[in-house]
Amino acid sequence: MGGFSELIKSFDKTRDYIRDFFIYGLKVRNDFDRKSLRTYDDEKRRIESWFGDYVKYDRSERGQKVSITVDSGTVSENPLYKAYRSKSFTDNDIKLHFFIIDVLHNGESLTLKEIVSDIDKNYNEIFDVQTIRNKLKEYVKEGIITSGKKGKASCFRLSTDRVNEFLHDYDGLADAIKFFSETQKFGIVGNSILESARLKNNLFVMKHNYIVHTLEDIIIPEIISAIEQKKYISIISFKAKNNKINNNNQVIPMKIFSSVQTGRRYIVGYIPAVKCFHSFRLDFIKSVRTGDICDEYDSIYEKFSHDLNYCFGVSFGSGKIETTVIVFFADEKCEKFVIDRLKREKRNGVLEKIDDNLFRLTVKAFDSFEVMQWVKSFTGRIISVTGDNKYAIDRFYNDISKMYSMYGGEEQ
Amino acid sequence: MNIFHEIYSTYFRVASEILKLPHITEKSIHKMIEKESFRDSALFLPQKLIPQNDCSDWGLLKKDSSGGLVPIIKNKPIEILTEIQKQWIKSKLDDPKIKLFLENDTLVSLKKRLENVKPFYRSEHFRYTDRFSDGDDFRDELYQKNFRKILNALKSHEILEITFISGRNKRISGKYIPLKIQYSAKNDRFRLFCFSLKDGEVFHSGVINIGRIERIENTNENYEKDISTDEYFRKRKCINPVTICVTEERNAKERFFMEFAPYEKCTLSDSEDEKCIVKIWYDYQEETELLIRLLSFGPVIEILEPPEFRCQAKERIKRQYDLLNKNRRP
Repeated sequence: MGGFSELIKSFDKTRDYIRDFFIYGLKVRNDFDRKSLRTYDDEKRRIESWFGDYVKYDRSERGQKVSITVDSGTVSENPLYKAYRSKSFTDNDIKLHFFIIDVLHNGESLTLKEIVSDIDKNYNEIFDVQTIRNKLKEYVKEGIITSGKKGKASCFRLSTDRVNEFLHDYDGLADAIKFFSETQKFGIVGNSILESARLKNNLFVMKHNYIVHTLEDIIIPEIISAIEQKKYISIISFKAKNNKINNNNQVIPMKIFSSVQTGRRYIVGYIPAVKCFHSFRLDFIKSVRTGDICDEYDSIYEKFSHDLNYCFGVSFGSGKIETTVIVFFADEKCEKFVIDRLKREKRNGVLEKIDDNLFRLTVKAFDSFEVMQWVKSFTGRIISVTGDNKYAIDRFYNDISKMYSMYGGEEQ
Repeated sequence: MNIFHEIYSTYFRVASEILKLPHITEKSIHKMIEKESFRDSALFLPQKLIPQNDCSDWGLLKKDSSGGLVPIIKNKPIEILTEIQKQWIKSKLDDPKIKLFLENDTLVSLKKRLENVKPFYRSEHFRYTDRFSDGDDFRDELYQKNFRKILNALKSHEILEITFISGRNKRISGKYIPLKIQYSAKNDRFRLFCFSLKDGEVFHSGVINIGRIERIENTNENYEKDISTDEYFRKRKCINPVTICVTEERNAKERFFMEFAPYEKCTLSDSEDEKCIVKIWYDYQEETELLIRLLSFGPVIEILEPPEFRCQAKERIKRQYDLLNKNRRP
């Protein structure tokens, strides 16, 4: 283990390992064939160090299985956030962090020369001027320091937005951050504010909480920035063999799609090479590179907005709209909850009452398989399914027969 | 700007906490690292904080005459709200749920303070594909008022008198001790986890949909005895986990493990490419939800145990099989 560090420089490899440990929890050491077994041992040790009690070990015929197990409906803080707290740095990085904040503590605006001199004088540490200049530049970008001019020289002062004062000034903001820090859409950022203020979420728990989504928060800002700027992106995937679309595709990004029921998230974009919309699993994306501006962005987005009306989940199929008609049975007197469920879950489907206790749902969508996956959650109440995609409908009828036989019935 | 930056790291935070103290001993540093940092940090962090003879430490602390340690910096470190953090707050100000926390004038004033900050994201960058359409109305004033009353009571351990309409459409009134507020992204709803009180004693664990609350009265009484959230969750957990056989067909393993990632689970046996057996623990009041989610996987998974859970699946499948046979396709 010589040279082992619990800190990491890049998040990519670690992301992949955490995902495997957390989601599957059934892989053994030899299954991790991406690099070397030494890499596996280092990654495993880091994960054990960060996540402590959440790491579980089970024996199987194939060897020891390591998993991260969390009942995410009961935790008040996403344990996977700890992975973000492990960025490596140099000795100069941490020294300059505290020295610069200290010399600018009284709110005074200082030039680079003055800062260099103060650091030398106060802490007896001599740094290269360029090193301090670079750090100041970096901290201006991060918002820790603001820059201005003192005569002809650039000067720097500490930002006046102090975490504790900010939270104190806006009543209710701390509670809001406690809540949003555990929700999708970059909860990790909210958690970093709580950590700075030495606060913890002690109020909220999340149901249907896919804590693993936080691992994707590292790549989404690049995608959002490309959407804002109407630019192409290139996507590099972890597991290209599982993706039908080639690795490193040119994509015009439209939106992030999130399934709150299956836990999968996607970037949906237009692929000019094949002239269609396609969804890419975010958890399979290793990195994203922003390309040039797409001149046709607005017209493609307009078509996308139109096509969304026929997208039941995330699939745009071949672009052909298929109609599926499902008739459901629900006793109107005592099973109103079934009718309510249909109403709230039907998405773009049209629901009509066709007779006493009978309800017809007509869905026009690009992918009938997505519709049928959901329809199966109404098992026990489906009178009939008809529609354009015979293969999807046949599969449904066959599935019910198979399940009937699986659970002890005799297939007819 | 990047959230994966050392300024947000555990090492920086621990160093900052130590530097806030005017005086500290080596023993206290070790204790603090053990409490605040990663499991293995004790092997790496102390020697970077505590002055070393070969000067391999960070030079942030120096020894004083008493043998203790004092910070080399003159002032306590300040925590600054970074640009990313302000951008993130700005994005949240457009979320309708923000009104549950901030009064209108606070919201207006915060928006003004952040007017030159670019939002981290906009809501139109995201689309929830399968969120239920009947979520709570966060803009409703009564809802906001009720939410804040609960939030305040939760923080002060105040007992509340609540009247609400239950899932079975019955009006229920009683005294409750709020424990946690639960949010579901799927339902887009908040629910209150609480203990109900009878004659001043904890009676049983309950869940109240905040959207179904008609009236909340403050009692100005606090519940003084210890209440345990862990105990609450333990009481709601099923006695027997459900055991499921998951096949490799139609990528079922990957889909299953992803979808059921939020549940506490244990994989019992597996072979590399074939079936695996998984046990899932669940909230017993959410049994039907779990059942219908499992059924939506079709024949690529099989519910094995417990017998009564398997029986429920069997009954629904038989009913479905009979319905389709009765209404056979032409």
